[in-house]
This record gives sequence, C-alpha cells and structure tokens, in this order.
Amino acid sequence: MRRIIAIVTTSLLLAACGNSGDSPKTEETGLNGAGKTLNVLVQANTIYPDQQRAWFTEINDKFKAQTGAEVKFETFASPNDELTKIQTSVLSGQGPDIYSLGTTFTPTAYATGAFLELKDDDWKKLGGKDAFLPATLGISGPDAEHQVGIPFTSRPFVMAYNTDLLKAAGIDKPADSWDGLLEQAKKLTSGGTYGLAVAYADGFDPWKFIWAMSVQAGNPLVKDKKASLSDPSTLKAYQTYLGWLATDKVVNPAAVGWKNAQAIADFGAGKAAFLPMVSATSKVTLDKSAVAGKYAYAIMPTIPPGQTSKPGNGVGATSILSGDNLVVAKYTKNKDLALALVKLLTSPEQQESYYKTFGELPTNATAAKKLQSDPALAPIIDSASKASGTPFNGAWSQVQLALVNVVVQSIPALKDGKLDEAKLKALIADGQKAAQDALDKSK
Amino acid sequence: MAIETVAPPAARDSNPGPPPRRRNRNRPLWMLAPGGILLVLVILVPLGVALTVSLLDLDQYTLREWTGAPFIAFDNYVEAVTDTALPHAIWVSVGYSALVTVATLPVGLAAALATQQRFKGRALVRSAFLIPYVLPAFVVGTVWRTILMPAGPANSVLGEQHLWLNGPNSYWTLVVVQLWTSWPLLYLLAASGLQSISEEVHEAAALDGAAWWAKLRYVIFPHLRGVLALALIIAFLHNLNSFTLPYVLFGVPAPHDVEVLPVLTYVESFQNFRFGLSAAMAVLSLVLVAIPLSVYLRAVRLNQHEN
Repeated sequence: MRRIIAIVTTSLLLAACGNSGDSPKTEETGLNGAGKTLNVLVQANTIYPDQQRAWFTEINDKFKAQTGAEVKFETFASPNDELTKIQTSVLSGQGPDIYSLGTTFTPTAYATGAFLELKDDDWKKLGGKDAFLPATLGISGPDAEHQVGIPFTSRPFVMAYNTDLLKAAGIDKPADSWDGLLEQAKKLTSGGTYGLAVAYADGFDPWKFIWAMSVQAGNPLVKDKKASLSDPSTLKAYQTYLGWLATDKVVNPAAVGWKNAQAIADFGAGKAAFLPMVSATSKVTLDKSAVAGKYAYAIMPTIPPGQTSKPGNGVGATSILSGDNLVVAKYTKNKDLALALVKLLTSPEQQESYYKTFGELPTNATAAKKLQSDPALAPIIDSASKASGTPFNGAWSQVQLALVNVVVQSIPALKDGKLDEAKLKALIADGQKAAQDALDKSK
Repeated sequence: MAIETVAPPAARDSNPGPPPRRRNRNRPLWMLAPGGILLVLVILVPLGVALTVSLLDLDQYTLREWTGAPFIAFDNYVEAVTDTALPHAIWVSVGYSALVTVATLPVGLAAALATQQRFKGRALVRSAFLIPYVLPAFVVGTVWRTILMPAGPANSVLGEQHLWLNGPNSYWTLVVVQLWTSWPLLYLLAASGLQSISEEVHEAAALDGAAWWAKLRYVIFPHLRGVLALALIIAFLHNLNSFTLPYVLFGVPAPHDVEVLPVLTYVESFQNFRFGLSAAMAVLSLVLVAIPLSVYLRAVRLNQHEN
C-alpha cells in the first residue's frame, strides 16, 4: 500500500519536474535521426525470448540505416506492468515514444488523451490507411476520424481440437453452436479425458467467453454508455460457461485453478478434446506437446447458447478484435521519427518476417493476402475476418474487470455440482452496477 | 561559522549548565538539515500529494493533467466508506493480520528458546529459520500457489479435493502462508531479547532452584515483554501492509474472502484508474496503521523527552 502511494507520488513529482523540461523542438522533416534514440515499449515475448532479442537488434540496425536514429526496446512482463508504466509516463510526460498496446486496452489509452491522434497527414507518413486490413482498424479509435492505434499484429481467438479424439468419437467437425459443442464435449468426456479445457482462473479469458456469447445473442454489453450485463443473454452466458464445470462436468474440476497456459498444457497432454479461446501463438507449445500433429484449429461457435441459429440482432463474432496496436506518445519529441519507425514495423516485409518468427498475423493488407493461401491458417484468418471489436469506451477495462469478477466469486460454489441462479444473478447485478458506475464517469 | 559553546560532558555533570532556552539556541540545529530535507522529500511531500490526490476526481480521463482534475473535497472518502468493498477489506485485513500476529508469538518464541542453548549445528538451524523471512514475497507466493493448486501437491498429499485459492479456505491459506513467511521476524527479535538477559539472572534463578517453567514464567518472560510487544506490533503492521503475497497467491480480481486492503487499493488505482478514490483508501489505511503505530511509539518511548 505504501508502495502504491510511493509510485503515485513519485510519478506526480516527476510530472512536476517533467513539465518544466519542454525543450525546443528540433524539426526533422528530412528525418536525420543521427544521435537520437527512440524508446519503444513492447510486451516481453515469453515464448520466443531469444528471437525477440534478435528482432530488437534487427529493427535497430534497419532503422539506423534508414534514419540514423537508434531504437531502444523496453519490455513489460504483464499487462499490469504496462499499465503502471503508461500511467507514470502519462503523468510525467516522459517515457517511451511508442507503446505496443493490447487492442482491448486501446480505448482506455485513448481516454487518457496522452497519445497522438492520427491526422490524414500522419497516416500518409505511415503509408496510408489502405495499407492495413480494414478489420484491424476496428479498435484504433472511437471512429474513423479519431484514431490513435496503428494495427501492428493480429491474434484472433480460435479453438484447438484433438483430431484423434474427435475421430474416435465419430465427430467429423466441431459444432458451430455452443449447445452443439457441449453435446460433443459430453460425448468426448470419459475416464481421464474431458471435453473442454477452460482456464477459469485466468485474469482475462473468462470475459472473452461471456462477451462472445452475449454479442452473439445480440447484447453488446455496452452501448451508448449503458451497460447491459443484467440482460438475460449474459446470465445465460455465465450459466453456460460455469455450467461446463459445475453441472455438465465436461471440464476437469482442477480447471478452477487454471490460467490460460495451464489449459493449453492440459490439452497438449491429450487430456482434453477442445481448447477454446486460444490464439495462433499456442501453436508453438502444442507442436512440442504430445498432441503434435494430432490437433487442428477451428473457429469457435457463433450460435449463442440455447439457440439453434444466430438470432437476427446477434453478431456472429468468432473472436474479439485481438492483437496489438502501436500508439505514439503525444509528449514525444521525435514524432516524425516515431511514425517512420511504425511505418517500418508495419511494412509488408517486416510483417511477414514477424509472422514467421512469432506466429502473429500481419495487419498489413499485402502481407496478410500472401498468407491467405496457407490452409493451416485458414481458420485463423477466417476468425480474424469475423472478429468483432469490443466496445470503444474508456471504461471498458473496468467493465472487463467486472465481468471477470463474477466468475472469480462464482468459483467456490462450482464444486457443489449446481449453479445457484439467485446467487449468480446477485453477482451479475454487482457487476452491472460497477460497469454502469464506470460508464457514467466516462467522457 | 557557528561557534561551539556547548559545555563538555564532564563540566555538565557538575554544573546544570545554562538555562534551557539559551541551550536550545546554541545547539547546531542546522546539522539536522540533511535529515530534515530527506524527511520532507521522502515522507512529507508524497504524503501531501497523496492527501491532495485523495480530494481530486483523478481518473483515466484527467490523469494527463492531474492538477486540473476536479476538486471534489471528501467525496472520495465518502464513496470509499459507503460504496466500495473498503469496510469489508479492512475487516479481512485486520482480522487476518491479528490472527497471524498472535500465532507467530508461540512459534517464534519457541524457536528462539530452542536455539538459545548451544548445541551442534545451532548456527545452521538458526540460518534455516530465517529462510522464509529472506525469501522475496513473490517467490513465496508463487511456490505456495503451485503447492495449493487444485491438482497440486497439497491436495495429492491430503488425497482430497480442496479449493485453497478461492472460497472460504483461501482466508486460511492467507493466514498460514503469511504466518510461514513472517514468524522468523518474531524469532529474530525474541532471540536478541534472550541474549540480552545477563548470565547472572540465569544463575540466580538456578540457585533458587527454579524449575524451567517457573524460570520461563517469572524470569525470562518479564525480561522479554518489551521486545515481544514491539515484535508483535511490527509484525502486525507488516501483515497489514503485505501486498505482494496476497496478490501473487490469489491474483486480481481477488476472491471475496481475501480481498485485503492493499490489493483493493491497488485494483482501484491500477485496474479501475480511480486514483483519487484509491488515494482516499490509502489515506484511510494510513489512519488505520497509525493506531498500532502510536502504540508502538509509546512502547519504544520515542516521544518521551530525554532526561
């Protein structure tokens, strides 16, 4: 607690010092960056740490050859780390020039007003908006005129399934409705194997399920600053998601303690037939696991629970619009250099090589087109095109937290083998209130 | 330059010295300046900023120009007390801290008494006792988290499925893990207290034919009372302020039963971006901490004027 006070206060102090330090701006239209350094904050890649370090060097060399400026990468370990870094930088007006942000955090970042809103001129310097896949721009800003996020990578969510287990059970392909998936999962649950691997204790996974099932049933959760968590469709989503473990028993009871990585590991050990809500980055782990060569990806169901076809007002979202956006800090003294670096990072060549090294899909239209022919990627690219953006509101992070909280507080009762609807409703009502309070304050 | 006029100690013994007023004036008080400046910079300024922030409606929308955030007086405090989980968090925090503190007393004392007598390998045992205390909290948290996972070693040993990291059990998990990591502090202080009891006291007790219990009860404990009281208060404050351990063990959002004050404050700041509200919570918890702290200061008599 004291530490928090300390963090807040030191950053406030820094802010006081930082504001006075505005140095005269050196205009570099010709982009002579000699002697200058750009700082970039990206997430530490725990799957490919060595490749990431090599990539840092490569980008630095390339950019230095182009402009003479150096690029220094800093990494953060978790989204919470990044938040702290952003908050201190925003307060102090100094820090990284460019940040890589998760898509769902972009609305909150936009709300701080600390990042560069891209004007036509800026987009031109980036090679034009047309250079990007249109869908990936869906969460760059509240509308096309106010965008801060430049799409960098795309990580749509899909579902992995164990081809051997499905074949043995006589199932030819994963269902396209959540009810159908549950039926298949029941068939596939026997002995030590379970139908589904789900990370109930993950800090982020649960809300993505609830969101997907809700929007598919026509409830966007947030619209015009109104939260609609208390809608029956969301209750149904929670009942379905929690019911897999509590009443349907198609998930390993130990999953109440799993984070995403543990669900992947369990599927990798061949102990689960379906692994919903993973991105293509899981491929690395799975290709080294016991199910290597015995699994495939498919899009997740788009027909909401309790239905046999998508309702008229439902959105057939296969995934949240997921990936990373790059944002340029307003306080940067090297705006043009920063834009030039973003242009380099989103160029077709870089995007292609980034995909080959890290398995993250390009946002660059040219690079993405090249990959479309790869059959292994088909479901993932399919999901990317059917992904839907989460509500663009500065309070979205709080709504997310409220959604996850319902799951966290529901977990202790799951082992009783039934879902208490009244209790669940009370928890959802708390979530609705928290979400609405946050939305009421949003600007 | 200041001219040294303070009388040497020998002279002061025989002579009460100048009247207090003059004595104060001639003290080289400027020598306190470095410490004073540090005190202001490290403690008072941040405290002042925290107090200021707690009166502002500071959130993600006003963060960038925080001095322009709307002044809302005590609204954050009112909201913290009436409309957040703060009262519950205080209850959980104080409750578990007190439990852990009380439980560390017999454990730490027993360990100190056990290692008081010289025996072979005593140094090794003494060092081993300190391991839980010197391990970083996030290591302790990660290790215990792994042990207590639903399919982890704890449940395999018990042969039953218990949920340790959520639900009512999680409270006891927090108590046990915090106890595991904090008892060596009490052990350390108790051991140092034991060493300060002079040999003569032990000898006198032996000559009087005191049995071990009587010796413990009437000779050793009275000597240790002061140091144990201090140890308990320090331990209580440590437990109350512990953030990393519950954060790593249970994650955020925290399960209801272990939603402790530091984690709640963290979530309000760094997940919900309600910096003003969070600062108000921090100030309130500071008040909470000040209660045992004042007891502590009284105990060490820092506020008592030197004679």
